[in-house]
Amino acid sequence: MNPNHMVAVHDFSPETLAAVAAHLEASTEFEHLVYREAELDAIWSLTGFAPAQHADAQRLHEAAHRAHDLVGEGWPQEAAALLRAFL
Amino acid sequence: MLSREESELLTRAGPGTAAGDYFRRFWLPALLATEVPAPDCPPVRLRILGEDLVAFRDTEGRVGMVDEYCPHRRASLFWGRNEECGLRCVYHGWKFEVSGACVDMPNEPPEYGLDNKVRIVAYPTREYGGIIWAYLGPAERLPELPKLEWARVPESHRYISKRRQETNYLQAIEGGIDSSHSNFLHASVDAFRVTPDYVEKVKNSSNLRARYHLLDRVPRFTVKKTDYGLVIAVRRNAGEDTYYWRLTQFLLPSHTIIPYQKGLSIHGHCWVPRDDETCWVWTMSWNPEAPLSAEEWKTIREGTFVHADVDPVSFRPYRNKDNDYQIDRAEQRNHSMTGIHGFAAQDQAIQESMGPIVDRTRERLGTSDTAIIAMRRLLLQQMRALRDDQEPFAAHHGAIYWVRSASLLLKRDVPFDEGARDLVAAQV
Ligand code: FES
Ligand SMILES: [Fe+2]
Repeated sequence: MNPNHMVAVHDFSPETLAAVAAHLEASTEFEHLVYREAELDAIWSLTGFAPAQHADAQRLHEAAHRAHDLVGEGWPQEAAALLRAFL
Repeated sequence: MLSREESELLTRAGPGTAAGDYFRRFWLPALLATEVPAPDCPPVRLRILGEDLVAFRDTEGRVGMVDEYCPHRRASLFWGRNEECGLRCVYHGWKFEVSGACVDMPNEPPEYGLDNKVRIVAYPTREYGGIIWAYLGPAERLPELPKLEWARVPESHRYISKRRQETNYLQAIEGGIDSSHSNFLHASVDAFRVTPDYVEKVKNSSNLRARYHLLDRVPRFTVKKTDYGLVIAVRRNAGEDTYYWRLTQFLLPSHTIIPYQKGLSIHGHCWVPRDDETCWVWTMSWNPEAPLSAEEWKTIREGTFVHADVDPVSFRPYRNKDNDYQIDRAEQRNHSMTGIHGFAAQDQAIQESMGPIVDRTRERLGTSDTAIIAMRRLLLQQMRALRDDQEPFAAHHGAIYWVRSASLLLKRDVPFDEGARDLVAAQV
């Protein structure tokens, strides 16, 4: 796992979340945080398009939002913990 | 997505704002040199970073840039007389030098001695690369001019235009570094559909962009932070063991260089906030090796590519939102994705359609928006650092702007920064 590689986010399955969380935990540089923010944006977008009755998706949507802002502020470990709560 | 606070911080550029202070640390393109062509020529108005200014070239050829409004009773100096090394307000005759000093005050008795004390706000200017640059920041922080390649080539090797756009500057930069839109917004219908005719036409084209863009429309983005800003590298599959790479630079505070292929001209942009809801779009085309060709001049004259056809005084494009950018729906049905003539007008139409300051809390970004995320983060970092009294490095190191974009084929196992090392240095 290399924080310079971007995780291909096609869904918000446990595998995807685990991959993004692991990449978050390894992220230290400006570039890493940019890729993580892009991944979290993609998770946030996908969960935002999920039907309203999909309760997990709604909760994840909010968590992705918070994780996204944490990454923006330079806190990738804390962002990873938010995603790990869904695994 | 971007929080409301961060979006506000990035987009408000008037005096005393974070973005405003940041832009006020750099030399900014303000006027085409041809707008003040000769000593004592008529003054011109301009708005930049939310400030209304008047520029004039004095008898000795120096360019002054002063507050538009006379300090006496706030008449506009646009109506002023440009005479004998100063601009004279025609309301009561006060006269100002390029330095801002009031040198004549004919309606006041000389014993008041006011004319030694009164000043108008005046900003330093430099003439460089066909442009009058202005510095609106604190006098003790005067920056270096950026050593940009286009500013160093002979005049016959370049063309520079400016246009006024009715959006915040950030939205315009986002459009400029968003490499994935060109396959759609600027494409022909045939290219978009990848028709057999189109494939036949471009399959042996020497233009790599035409050849490889259609083969892989889901490019991979890599960003790299540098001392001047960012390198944005976009990778597409090409041959079996090769990638087609396009490298763009984003140079602080708001310049870009469009990926260029050796032998063709290079194009670049600079975006300058006019006020919070409008910006100046500067577009530069240059050929480091030769004067621009007849064919390039034709493209410029016809406004088909990156330069727009504009009103010579307001710099508003003739194709604008009042006339729906002269969209031709038949053309759109049969030939081009937009039905709007010229890349510049296509960009302007679509960026203005998002509203003057797009609501970034409502966007849904994907991984193709990586460059946009990186640019916003970098600017936020820079603006916050300045608030903590860290001066921007790039503003005081003009030499780091000596770079050039690139597009090239590389073996899949060669990292782009190694493979492109010789190409990304400017050379004139
Ligand atoms: S307003 Fe300019 S001199 Fe009076
Ligand atoms: Fe464009």
